[in-house]
Amino acid sequence: MTGTELFGTIGMVDVFLAMAITIVIASFVSLYRGIEGPGIFNRIIAVNVIGTKTIVLLVLIGFIYERPDFFDIALLYAILNFIMTIAATRY
Amino acid sequence: MSDTIINLTNVITVLLLLVGAFFMLAGTIGFLRFPDFYSRMHATGKCDTLGEGLMLVALIVYGGATFVSVKILFLILFILLANPTSTHAIAKAAYDVGLEPWRKLDEEVAWLNTGDTGNSDESRAGEDGGEVR
Repeated sequence: MTGTELFGTIGMVDVFLAMAITIVIASFVSLYRGIEGPGIFNRIIAVNVIGTKTIVLLVLIGFIYERPDFFDIALLYAILNFIMTIAATRY
Repeated sequence: MSDTIINLTNVITVLLLLVGAFFMLAGTIGFLRFPDFYSRMHATGKCDTLGEGLMLVALIVYGGATFVSVKILFLILFILLANPTSTHAIAKAAYDVGLEPWRKLDEEVAWLNTGDTGNSDESRAGEDGGEVR
């Protein structure tokens, strides 16, 4: 495991991994509302919520594997999520 | 001495990450449990923005003053601009289509009359309005 240690055998990478797993679980809970939720607007806002959770997940993955390429992908996902939401609500 | 500083940075990072994860989970539970579209958006629009901002600030604290931190700072600024804008756009579109806000009395009356919840009636009305538009 790379990265510094928090205390004992628990490193910071483990903390980032736990946060990433938490975000994935929250995304699946939001996906249930997106599939089941009545109306088109619940689905739009579920897509928006999952997209914003994906940004933090990408930044955490970039810190876990220590690859700075993921931050550019996270910025791209943020811009695409915003444009997609605006387009879906205007038309 | 340097060990103390590194541990303090890690502890601040973990605390900010935990608070951000708490807000994100609270927003998700509100998104799952609230009765109406507008109240669900009330839960997600604020809790997700705050939780995300806190988690990214924690990663800035962990990363230190590098080029990567500047990228994450731009990401936070963009999220703080874009997320309320998209939430407002969704709410405005739903209000223009004609989705009525949820009221407790309406839901009870609809439940007593038809045996159905008022939420699905409102969503059906919203979908009809969408087709007309």
